[in-house]
Amino acid sequence: MAKTYDYLFKLLLIGDSGVGKTCILFRFSEDAFNTTFISTIGIDFKIRTIELDNKKIKLQIWDTAGQERFRTITTAYYRGAMGIMLVYDITQEKSFENIKNWIRNIEENASADVEKMLLGNKCELTDKRQVSKERGEQLAIEYGIKFMETSAKASINVEEAFLTLASDIKAKTEKRMEANNPPKGGHQLKPMDSRTKDSWLSRCSLL
Amino acid sequence: MSDDLPEQFDLVVIGTGFTESCIAAAASRVGKSVLHLDSNEYYGDVWSSFSMDALCARFDQKPEPHSTLRNCSYTWHTRDTETGEQLWNRDSVLAKSRRFSLDLCPRILYAAGELVQLLIKSNICRYAEFRAVDHVCMRHNGEIVSVPCSRSDVFNTKTLTMVEKRLLMKFLTACNDYGEDKCNEDSLEFRGRTFQEYLQAQRVTEKISSCVMQAIAMCDPTTSFEEGMQRTQRFLGSLGRYGNTPFLFPMYGCGELPQCFCRLCAVYGGIYCLKRAVDDIALDSNSNEFLLSSAGKTLRAKNVVSAPGYPPVSKGIELKAHISRGLFISSSPLGNEELNKGGGGVNLLRLVDAEGSREAILIQLAHYTGACPEGLYIFHLTTPAVSENPAADLDVFTSQLFDHSDAQIIFSSYFTIAAQCNTSVAAEHIHYTDAPTYELDYDAAIANARHIFGKLLADADFLPRAPDPEEIVVDGEDPSALNEHSLPEDLRAQLQDMQKATQEMDIQN
Repeated sequence: MAKTYDYLFKLLLIGDSGVGKTCILFRFSEDAFNTTFISTIGIDFKIRTIELDNKKIKLQIWDTAGQERFRTITTAYYRGAMGIMLVYDITQEKSFENIKNWIRNIEENASADVEKMLLGNKCELTDKRQVSKERGEQLAIEYGIKFMETSAKASINVEEAFLTLASDIKAKTEKRMEANNPPKGGHQLKPMDSRTKDSWLSRCSLL
Repeated sequence: MSDDLPEQFDLVVIGTGFTESCIAAAASRVGKSVLHLDSNEYYGDVWSSFSMDALCARFDQKPEPHSTLRNCSYTWHTRDTETGEQLWNRDSVLAKSRRFSLDLCPRILYAAGELVQLLIKSNICRYAEFRAVDHVCMRHNGEIVSVPCSRSDVFNTKTLTMVEKRLLMKFLTACNDYGEDKCNEDSLEFRGRTFQEYLQAQRVTEKISSCVMQAIAMCDPTTSFEEGMQRTQRFLGSLGRYGNTPFLFPMYGCGELPQCFCRLCAVYGGIYCLKRAVDDIALDSNSNEFLLSSAGKTLRAKNVVSAPGYPPVSKGIELKAHISRGLFISSSPLGNEELNKGGGGVNLLRLVDAEGSREAILIQLAHYTGACPEGLYIFHLTTPAVSENPAADLDVFTSQLFDHSDAQIIFSSYFTIAAQCNTSVAAEHIHYTDAPTYELDYDAAIANARHIFGKLLADADFLPRAPDPEEIVVDGEDPSALNEHSLPEDLRAQLQDMQKATQEMDIQN
């Protein structure tokens, strides 16, 4: 089967509960928003293929499955991630303060060269704002990462944020490929056809 | 952080080891509300992988009598060793602490074994990656040699002569066909006798006999003919799937595996709390529910599953030494260049003592597994415990490995994994999982999880396939595009509510 894309990027959403990570995911992958989200039950990740410089990029965006609630994200969640969206809620000071903790968590568990981006979500709720845009920008500068304010509800900047992150990862990947240093590969398990019992031996018939 | 933990659960699982995580995922998958707790700050309990710092810190912890991890010791070997540009010593190893995934319970998976089948069947395989084991080895005349597995291996191997190759093929063909023809007189004759007797009767050479006994069937002299045949078939049945050997090793270590099950549990609504102990447990005779007090809060649970080693829940369980472990870090691999091409991968070596009565499994990991930095190698040595002194238990095997080798050991450690010795503690209807048993793959652990799951939910399917994200359309125009029947009950109920709401909206329009 021919590959329908040039690159596959694994992206993660990270941040406190209730900052709108799942809403951002659905806005980007389905262009939909639902305030009464039943929950993230059964949702592991969403896929959307985008095009950048004539390259098809398949984005696989993983949700936390609620494991952020008591800071119990598995280390396995971070494996192989190439980009991370750090999300806080501009109407929740605490979620902004916790970004520092999430960054520490990422440093401990994700690969050192993972591309990060900071998002201040729910920017449509101007009258409830607790975190100014400047503070968001300042924090992003501190960590040397990009920043945007988004609204999953009003569909502001969500598309732009993912395209920015994807384009930064693409640039990094291509640079690395030029350096001729392809990353190691493991096996993903796939269902096997039921093999006939003697297939191994028939392949050894030379002897 | 506010503690907005719900108070009522169908199932509370204590301990995030492999077996507990398996049960938690299976219960959550079929719609049960699950709370999964661990008093440790990491996932996996005694099935976990650690960074270098974390492993030493864990070993430094004051030993607790109820812990399933005990008799821990470690030593840094002070001499500096060099590989290429890099100078390796305690400091330079610790500087790369995070690049290590050091397993307490390393395992190797048969490519068509129980765990691989379960991961595929349940779709949990999407959370993990595996590396095919590079070489299955054996010790022959004091040398570590590769046992040929694939066709090209057999063809190219210098381990065997042409005649031996034919004999080995003939023998394996017979094993492969065993059981097809029930009236096969040749095999009837050996029923009730040992596998070794059968092997000898085939007039194979001593070297082939070692290949089969040590590495392929993994037998000792007392193994029955039937058992040996079954093990050989298991080996052959896993060949040709991934890579050259019939075995797989999880990338980043075996500690990833419990986490994969935990992730599925969470995806289906399971709640996770680490660093959270249960302080007391009681059975409420009126409601027939368990009352668990944890962090000043009372939780109610219809059922409780617990790993051993989590008092007060697992009080009354007596533990004794079950597995003796050695974990070594070296700047040079074991065996010759041929076995470690391109920096090496995963090599598996089963060791036997001179009498052939005791065995140990050695797993050598190189940096391609994601379990250690480039230039270093991990040697995991595992043997059934005969005492509370893991170093003494492993002595016969470490001397086989290290006495006449130029392995540059930088770090060595020993520890014991303990298991229940009184298996019949049916204390207050809590379901206790077994501590890790001595086995290569996870068959016993999965059987244990299935057994407990069957007691909890007799009629439920054990880890049915989780749909792929593409198959779930939550917010679509047409909610019925969801395949209702692939969903657990609670999700199906939510779906029906959504459909009802949609219908009501239509009426208003």
